[in-house]
Amino acid sequence: MRITTRKLLDRAFTLCAYFAVALMTLFLLFVLLPIFGKGAGAYLFTGTVEHRRMLLDQFNRGDAEQFSAEWADVQQARRPIYAAVAAFEKELPGLPAARRKELKASYKEIRVGLGVLLGSEPGKPLPALTRGLYGQTRWDRAQEKVSNILYEETWDYSGGAGKRVLVPRQPLFEGTALAPIFPLLQNNLRDLLHPRFTFYPGFLIDKSIDAHFFGGIGAEVMGTLYLALGAMLIAVPLGIIAAIYFQEYATEGAVLSFLRSCVNTLAGVPSVVFGLFGLAFFINTLHVSPGKSVLAGALTLALLVLPTVIRSSEEAIAAVPRAYKEGALALGAGQWHTILTVILPAALPGILTGTVISMGRAAGETAPIIFTAAVSVGRMIQPSELLTQPTPTLSWNLYNICTEHQAVEEIRHVQYGMAATLVVIVLVLNLTAILLRARVARNLKG
Amino acid sequence: MNTGEHIILSAGEKTRRRIFGLVGRSFLFAVTSVAALAVLAIIFFIARDALPFFHEKGVAAFFFSKAWYPAQSPPQFGAAAIFAGSLLVTAAAVVLVVPPGVCAALCMSDILPFNVRQVLKPVIEMLAAIPSVAYGFFALVVLAPLLQNAGGRVLSVAWWVLALPMLALGSVVAADLLSSQRLSETSYRLVRGLLTFLFLALSLVLIVQTGNRLGALQISSGVNALNAAIILGVMALPTIVSVSEDALQAAGRELREGSYALGATRAETLVKVVVPAAISGIFSAILLGVMRALGETMVVWMASGNAAQIPKPWYNLLQPVRTLTATIAGDMGEADQMTGSAHYHVLFAMGLSLLIFSFFCNLAGEWIVARQRKRLRGG
Repeated sequence: MRITTRKLLDRAFTLCAYFAVALMTLFLLFVLLPIFGKGAGAYLFTGTVEHRRMLLDQFNRGDAEQFSAEWADVQQARRPIYAAVAAFEKELPGLPAARRKELKASYKEIRVGLGVLLGSEPGKPLPALTRGLYGQTRWDRAQEKVSNILYEETWDYSGGAGKRVLVPRQPLFEGTALAPIFPLLQNNLRDLLHPRFTFYPGFLIDKSIDAHFFGGIGAEVMGTLYLALGAMLIAVPLGIIAAIYFQEYATEGAVLSFLRSCVNTLAGVPSVVFGLFGLAFFINTLHVSPGKSVLAGALTLALLVLPTVIRSSEEAIAAVPRAYKEGALALGAGQWHTILTVILPAALPGILTGTVISMGRAAGETAPIIFTAAVSVGRMIQPSELLTQPTPTLSWNLYNICTEHQAVEEIRHVQYGMAATLVVIVLVLNLTAILLRARVARNLKG
Repeated sequence: MNTGEHIILSAGEKTRRRIFGLVGRSFLFAVTSVAALAVLAIIFFIARDALPFFHEKGVAAFFFSKAWYPAQSPPQFGAAAIFAGSLLVTAAAVVLVVPPGVCAALCMSDILPFNVRQVLKPVIEMLAAIPSVAYGFFALVVLAPLLQNAGGRVLSVAWWVLALPMLALGSVVAADLLSSQRLSETSYRLVRGLLTFLFLALSLVLIVQTGNRLGALQISSGVNALNAAIILGVMALPTIVSVSEDALQAAGRELREGSYALGATRAETLVKVVVPAAISGIFSAILLGVMRALGETMVVWMASGNAAQIPKPWYNLLQPVRTLTATIAGDMGEADQMTGSAHYHVLFAMGLSLLIFSFFCNLAGEWIVARQRKRLRGG
């Protein structure tokens, strides 16, 4: 091979390596940007009057006086619509049968659409589900919903694959009492809903209302925190003790290498198998709780993170300079005394780093808690129920509301909000760990 | 008070201290054993609930039958298609991720300056830290619609970006290799130019044809083996990069300097000297990646489509598949937790299979590392 070709190959190889690193970084952005971008939309969005009504009714939040003035305005704007509907109801029986038949299906869809857009009509009996009570709380959703009223959705199969076609309904209702609502909805939607830029921090702490149609993810956030903290409460003492044993007491030999390979194997067990074990052992054999519970989940998660805690604690203890230990021993301190007063305090930041990373892992895991701790529909759990009750969690409920929810498309913003919240919690924990580690490295350097 | 009394211990004090130390030591040992032996408890309890299934239904049907109808009566529990799904998705993820992973590791260990490396480490840690359910959500909500609506175009763009530079480079190198055999300078140039042109034209035809074929591809469902494999690959990437990077770093400076001294370029040094020296570390990195991909649950559950079938042909990644982990998570679900039903036990049988596989992967990894250590120590 000539030297020019070798140089070319060398350059190409370097480029290739850069490309791989760039690809990795780009993919991280590709994953995080939509989650963060759209997830922020759960907290910051253009909210309608319905959102403020919901907050006032359900969470008693907001200025009641100001709201009632606004609500009066909105009612004023909505009155012509309800009047037109009532007039059309009266007119309908008098129309010729053929015309009636033509209008009926479309009219039904319009009624449903109005309920979805504006909520239940004042003075009418209350709907069975809360989702029927309030209209669209978000302006972006409201604009989508209004098009369901204004247009009929049909599918054109002439080109083979189906194509969505929107047919305006207005011509159909020309000449009836219902006709005035179309221009009203088209042009005066702002008056009907009063969209306004809204910051909704309550999303993080509010309970969900009617299967996440309204409200926030407070129950899930609390469940995740309880589980992660519980797991750390169990795993950290165990992990530190094991690390002390491995580093300070154990002597090389068959027993030690056996224990070490046990810990290594534990690190390689698939997470879903931890879930099976938690179900078979903690719940079906030990009966730590009558069914799924936060306790069983925390025990299972503790086992999952144990190898990480042990390994990072060991590294932290091993990084303590020998001189510290020898100094303490030379001053006449016993081994226990040395460990408790010299080695552990010096290793603490390092141990903390591992703990924080493990906590992030425990907060994000889903598979181990499916059979041991998580429920899809549940209320916010009280601290007194931790030992007996299951809880909703961010991870499991994110899965649940984007696959098994009855209206997956309607609550996309909640899904993104939940995903973003979970990722932020985990990444903040990891960033803390990274910063902690940087400090440890600086301190050790002196 | 005389302090000397405290330095010289009485006999009673000495025994007390010794007993105290012994008790403390046994306490530490006991706690450590509990932590370590947990893995044995896991194996025991998974096996205990798995064995009734093998007793009742036999082993052959489980491993070799493709009929997975757990809800029928009588139920059929043939898991061959599910095993195949797990293998297919894992293998595809590893094939997708090993080349960029090892390249990235080489870049981080030998090419990038120290400062950039310090910035990239957190990027890798973040990739590793993102919860699997968030990856699954991304796969389901962003990647699946993208594949379904524009899958062909995405694939063909990816093909162009990868294949064009690779094949162009390949043509130049191949032409040089073929023409540099015992030729004078002028004829070398002529022959090389002609060959390069020929190879370039050939590869261009190949690229355009394959690109067009990929571009015309219609993907009927965005949730399929490819989607799951891409995300699993990304999830295995941090493990593969950081473990291989450690192995590459451990190969040592002398080795590299020796190679440079002999006149090798950086690429030659890396490919012919450093990578072979670190190959066992890279293998164990890949093993860890395989374990991560095989044991991952949420992503495959959300992104792979969950159809218990072997794709036709078997390498068709665009069809939905079902994996062991997703079956365990999905079928155990919220309803079926009654001890005793065959459906309950078959899921433990799958868990046991996963456990045994990861156990052997672990053993293999430890064996590779131990062998390497011995070889390094032996010189």
